[in-house]
Amino acid sequence: MQNNRFMKAAALSVMFALGGAGTAVAGVTDKDILADQMTTDDVVSNGMGLRGQRFSTLDKINRDTIQDMRPVWAFSMGGEKQRGQETQPMIKDGVMYITGSYSRVWAVDARSGEELWQYEARLPDGIMPCCDVINRGVALYGDLVIFGTLDAKLVALNKDTGKTVWKKKVEDYKAGYSISAAPIVVDGKVITGVAGGEFGIVGKVRAYDAQNGDLVWERPTVEGHMGYVYEDGKKIEAGISGGAPGKTWPADLWKSGGAAPWLGGTYDPDVDLLFFGTGNPAPWNSHQRPGDNYFSSSRLAIDPDNGEIVWHFQTTPNDGWDYDGVNELISFDYEHQGKTIKAAATADRNGFFYVLNRENGEFIRGFPFVDKINWAKGLDENGRPIFNDANRPGNPANSEDGKKGETVVAAPSFLGGKNWQPMAYSKDTGLFYVPSNEWEMDIWNEPTAYKKGAAYLGAGFTISSIEEDYIGVLRAIDPKTGETVWRHNNYAPLWGGALATSGGLVFTGNPEGYLMAFDDRTGEVVYKFNTGSGIVGSPVTWEMDGEQYVSVASGWGGAVPLWGGEVAQRVKDLNQGGTIWTFKLPKRYENTNLAAK
Amino acid sequence: MKIFCVAVLLLFCGQTVARSLEDIVDSGRIVVAVYDDYYPFSIRHKSNDRVDTYGSDAVGSSGAEAETDEDENALGDLSTDPYRGVPASSGTGIDIDLAAAIAESLDVELELIWMTAGETTEDDLRNYLWKGHIIHGVKADLMMRVPYDRDYTLKRDDIGLLVHELVHMFGPYHVEAWQVAHDTKNLPELPTVSLFSYHPVGVEVDSIPQLYLTSAFNGRFREQARQFNSLQAAFVGMVDEKVHAVMGIRSQVTALHSQLDNARFELAENAFPLIGRQQWDIGVAVHNDYRALGYAVGDVITEKTLNGELQEIFTKYGAEYQMPDYYNY
Repeated sequence: MQNNRFMKAAALSVMFALGGAGTAVAGVTDKDILADQMTTDDVVSNGMGLRGQRFSTLDKINRDTIQDMRPVWAFSMGGEKQRGQETQPMIKDGVMYITGSYSRVWAVDARSGEELWQYEARLPDGIMPCCDVINRGVALYGDLVIFGTLDAKLVALNKDTGKTVWKKKVEDYKAGYSISAAPIVVDGKVITGVAGGEFGIVGKVRAYDAQNGDLVWERPTVEGHMGYVYEDGKKIEAGISGGAPGKTWPADLWKSGGAAPWLGGTYDPDVDLLFFGTGNPAPWNSHQRPGDNYFSSSRLAIDPDNGEIVWHFQTTPNDGWDYDGVNELISFDYEHQGKTIKAAATADRNGFFYVLNRENGEFIRGFPFVDKINWAKGLDENGRPIFNDANRPGNPANSEDGKKGETVVAAPSFLGGKNWQPMAYSKDTGLFYVPSNEWEMDIWNEPTAYKKGAAYLGAGFTISSIEEDYIGVLRAIDPKTGETVWRHNNYAPLWGGALATSGGLVFTGNPEGYLMAFDDRTGEVVYKFNTGSGIVGSPVTWEMDGEQYVSVASGWGGAVPLWGGEVAQRVKDLNQGGTIWTFKLPKRYENTNLAAK
Repeated sequence: MKIFCVAVLLLFCGQTVARSLEDIVDSGRIVVAVYDDYYPFSIRHKSNDRVDTYGSDAVGSSGAEAETDEDENALGDLSTDPYRGVPASSGTGIDIDLAAAIAESLDVELELIWMTAGETTEDDLRNYLWKGHIIHGVKADLMMRVPYDRDYTLKRDDIGLLVHELVHMFGPYHVEAWQVAHDTKNLPELPTVSLFSYHPVGVEVDSIPQLYLTSAFNGRFREQARQFNSLQAAFVGMVDEKVHAVMGIRSQVTALHSQLDNARFELAENAFPLIGRQQWDIGVAVHNDYRALGYAVGDVITEKTLNGELQEIFTKYGAEYQMPDYYNY
């Protein structure tokens, strides 16, 4: 199995290098997707390249020229309700594809900003999305625009007309499942996870044939559940995740273990592996499920051909803080003592930044990327946390006298040192640019709770800021040393993605509405533009008609306003919105003498 | 009020706060929220031509969800009244029978909203009573199966505001409790829960019984806990001898038990030490703005309690009824 994968990885590299024929489809091809991070005239994958580095080699917009970057059009998503625009725009052949809240999709002329078509998913009566109503973007393949809906379907639209070509039910929306992440396409297969109703669900990563939506494989993310491959319409057993039930879960709790892979994933063609993060285990109180609870709160390396879990790394075993493990794992290479290390990095909700060997999942190093962590004292030599038991939420058995259980203060809060908002990696500086947050939580077992008319034990929590002046911190982190090379503090929490470019710039947006650009080496703010509503989307850049463009969605929302508390005070006056802002540097403002880097 | 809205302020109708008793009577219908497919309280009839109605006015296909996408605005018109439900004939059950009695007393038709439960009752009160459904905007005039619990009513959030400020919880109509049913074939008697250490017990996933079995007494029952998606599934498991007992809320356990062979399956009379909440009252809720509606509905519930009709409703479904202390004066 190992040999086959390496051979295929080699074949893919060769195909890619020679520019050989991919699958014969019109429009976006496998080759286009694999080359996405090198090509500058399009953006055809989530992450601007399947590795998810969000790095562009474009340098026309740079420190010297950015003051002349100007908006060229704005597109309004409209609609009666807004609730947060977390999309990453995609651009191909002069057309931009974006998603909006409430499972909406648009195709927009990338030059003029005029709408070409709009699609709104019709959502069923009984829907009750477990999580937010946002959507993080589409996948492109052939002449299809593919995305996930709030009622847990995958929908493929014709890129020219917006009409449905195929639609597949991924999970039962009535159980609270939904899809908010952008799918990715690898080797003609659409790969998606799913967001869960927290309770009674089992997470799965699935692959579908991109052309017709037929299921190719499914891989459960909880130990004890069988995975399947589908051949000629037949369902074939493909091994139990983790080998057998009951190894890391007591009794039959693995049956509803959770671990929903709700943030999608990345892919590296060098090692030919998908990297998907998994959500927290259920039930939420860790005392009910002693054991590591595989494969919750982990990063999984999955074979894209058959869904096999090739390796796993668990960032928070027996997760008691709702940290999840979904954050993106970004592949990158670096030199160490004359050797090229095939690494991958992730900034986890739990406050630690991990660097792993992406060939086998081995721990290389890990270090805090936030100022305060108290749920663990550190990581051991294998990257396993050294728990601080005093800061684990208490045993529910101790709340059974009907009174509120003991309160624990844990840092980071469950919203995490970094949440879904993707970081960026610059090949030029070798640094990761991480939109992080400093906050902590009080958490307790809440016995005054009900569910469907039955007495219940809920999770009580409040989130509070650690510092008066800021919650958000954009950090430039050296993955080889753990050093934060520079940081920029922000009053409100950061909740939008980052972008790094060879122009020596890092772009991100903040809830106050500013699209900002920073000098990638010093952190100096070199540009600010107020888009009118908070930015929780991910910026992109591309080249069109010989000029460099930048685009970002503006529209405040996401999880921060949902969870309230003291933190909500910082954001409650921010207005919602739904607009795509697109900027460019006109040709006449390009400089021919680039500043020395 | 409704005509005023339509004529002048389409933009604000979606934010209609609530319907008063007059509005309800004038419109000839009351919209009541009940939990979807929740045995024996609100059982939904299976129907081949069940169509989704909240999402748009377009008729869905028969049975399966509509396959065509005509770019219907799934959020619905702002001019659409958020207070809209489906016919009461779509289901039956304890809560629906009581809602029907309330509607009859007010001389209006009963319409139902089938609630998909959120993570907790707080979510349901928000989604279906005071704020409206997050996607479809529908709202109910009255919600059934709401806790009647002073501590719950007065709960405050982390900045000190009342969580349930916008709803009025009242009209308790029965007392709920925990109940075990057991298969005498495999477990002849269940005087105390200590027997849970030695016999597999079925519970609904993500419930207090599951919590109790997995963490009480240092987890001594944990290995014997068997989870099911619903209490009905747990009962099927007991009939199939996969579990020897089932633990759940009393109304459900007694109703399901009444459908089984009473010679083989028995209701236990054990206590539940350290379970935290032994009993609680179940009532109804309305939006806090219109107390007249609350008084009218409360009067009906009091009448039906004191004249025995509520007992009859429970008996009809085989469920055990206990009158709330509220009426013992």
